[in-house]
Amino acid sequence: MGRRSDILSVTLAIRELRYDWQSSFCFIAALVGVLAPLLILLALKNGVIGAMVDGLVENPANREVIPMGTAFYEQSFLADMAARPEVGFVIAAPRRINAAASALRNPVSRELERAVPLIPSAPGDPLLPDAQIVEGRVWLSNSLASDLNLDSGDMIEMLVGREIDGARETARAQFEVAGVAAHENYERQAMFMSLPDLLDVEVFRDDRAVTIEQYSSSRPNPERFASFRMYARDLADLPALLAALESAGVQARPRSENASLLLAFRDNLNFLYAAIAIIAVAGFWAAMAANLRGMVERQRAILSLLRLLGLPAGAVVRIPLLQGAVLVTTGVFVTLLIVLPSLFMINAFFTSPSGETVAKLGFFDVVGAIVLGLLTSASAATWSMVAVHNIKSDEVLRNG
Amino acid sequence: MTQAPHTTRSVLHVRNLGLHLAPDFAVVIEAIDLAPGERLVMDAESGAGKSTALGLISGALAHDGLHGCMHQICGIDVDHDAPRALYARPDALGFVLQTNTLVPYLNARENIRLPMRIAGLIEDSAWEKHLIELLGLGSLLARAPSALSVGQRQRVSVARALLGRPAVLLLDEPVASLDPGNVSQVEALISHLSEEAGSGVLLASHQAQTGHFADARRLAHRVIKHHDITYSLFSDAAAIQAETG
Repeated sequence: MGRRSDILSVTLAIRELRYDWQSSFCFIAALVGVLAPLLILLALKNGVIGAMVDGLVENPANREVIPMGTAFYEQSFLADMAARPEVGFVIAAPRRINAAASALRNPVSRELERAVPLIPSAPGDPLLPDAQIVEGRVWLSNSLASDLNLDSGDMIEMLVGREIDGARETARAQFEVAGVAAHENYERQAMFMSLPDLLDVEVFRDDRAVTIEQYSSSRPNPERFASFRMYARDLADLPALLAALESAGVQARPRSENASLLLAFRDNLNFLYAAIAIIAVAGFWAAMAANLRGMVERQRAILSLLRLLGLPAGAVVRIPLLQGAVLVTTGVFVTLLIVLPSLFMINAFFTSPSGETVAKLGFFDVVGAIVLGLLTSASAATWSMVAVHNIKSDEVLRNG
Repeated sequence: MTQAPHTTRSVLHVRNLGLHLAPDFAVVIEAIDLAPGERLVMDAESGAGKSTALGLISGALAHDGLHGCMHQICGIDVDHDAPRALYARPDALGFVLQTNTLVPYLNARENIRLPMRIAGLIEDSAWEKHLIELLGLGSLLARAPSALSVGQRQRVSVARALLGRPAVLLLDEPVASLDPGNVSQVEALISHLSEEAGSGVLLASHQAQTGHFADARRLAHRVIKHHDITYSLFSDAAAIQAETG
């Protein structure tokens, strides 16, 4: 009896939907009306909006902490900071005045750029992901590489000048260009080099005992440094990192004053989408529950007749549940038939500034929509199932 | 579920089956014994509770559990709370409703076969063909109920009730909604087909004084008032006589 009445429930549920196709159509249209904009919004959030916000949030520059004032930082302090969970990257740096090349030159084309900042770097530098900075090998910012017409594998010549007793002296050093930094990570001119290479510059400028010939002699690292480059592991770690520095007596400020705003914006964006989705789903749930309940009311006599003819109560009660499931599945299918080509068109006609796909809908987004729809329909059908359960076989005798 | 005493040949056995429709009004079937193929008519005036009585007999309406209540179809106790498949299979009970209600999204043939499908019974195709032919439904089988006239819907209802060759056939004003020209024809068909099916027939009708059920046994009807409650009582004199000896 169970399997037979199950099959009969399915047949009757579908036949009734087909018969009352106008109501079914309205129901599906209502679902598509809610779900399609929601999925397109989700796709845009996953695509260009998310990429833009993530780009802002993930931009390492926003995680940078800049030391303020004049101070010296012990090697051990920097090592302790590096071990902290909030710290994503830290490296010692010379005084700002020494952290610049007098000029950089393309040794082949002789193109030359003056007063170019030098930035200490090491593996793990968030501005140079995947870069292996070692002595003798440097990375160029995109604009510097472009101005000097250099690329990976080329050589670059650095000129470091100093003035002793009114006489100018210039040391020269050659490096291999190991790579070019992404423009979005560092937009101005700069050369990223290992700390020992950068300390050579500082020592040559500060120590008149070091001759031009001794420019690149290997020497032990100093115990103290005039500055550092430090990045929080995550934007959310920034407040804790600043607090840790403050408690260590180090004055510092975040490069981006808007870092916390950015983070709040991303969280709010997620919250906003969740709120829209919840409101839409709640509205759909209410509409669905009312629709299914209305269908039951219109079908009271027939459902009572089915009971009178011997269809078990459970099989009759399953009819609105099955109808809800069929309507939602059809609604999701129709929604995808509309949304997927729409996303294709959006992506074909619009491009995001960063080259990201404008609208993205993942497999799990689609599965999630189906599962959410079915859960919604199942819960919305509960009201109708209770109503059907209360329809007795005698109703058709009086009201048929 | 208790079995009926084997001493009775009744396909329908009822004693003191009643229901309060309102605090001051109750319908009670005092006694009915219906033998296979026998015909019994309820022709009490309108408002007496004939449809309620049929609803009680069919098991669709829950009774009040009066003292001495007994209710069996084909020797099976009828329990309103039990699955209808236990006592109201299409080969035990057929019911032609006054309302002619059909399932609107099934065609005429599917409506006729629906009780058999629900019960998981295979229809006797020769009997089905015979029913359809005699009821003049041959060309209407693929039609939806909305495409049938009132008379055609009533004939489909009759076919639905008779397809399982029920032991008991309940008819609730089966010709009330028909135009006078069709009444006699439909009555004749019901009479003939129920006889062929071997069904015991209980007909509720206010038009049975003449026609094909004019000579059938009548259920006596009387109204009494007791403790401010009006009782509409139906009783089968033959059943009471048989019981009292």
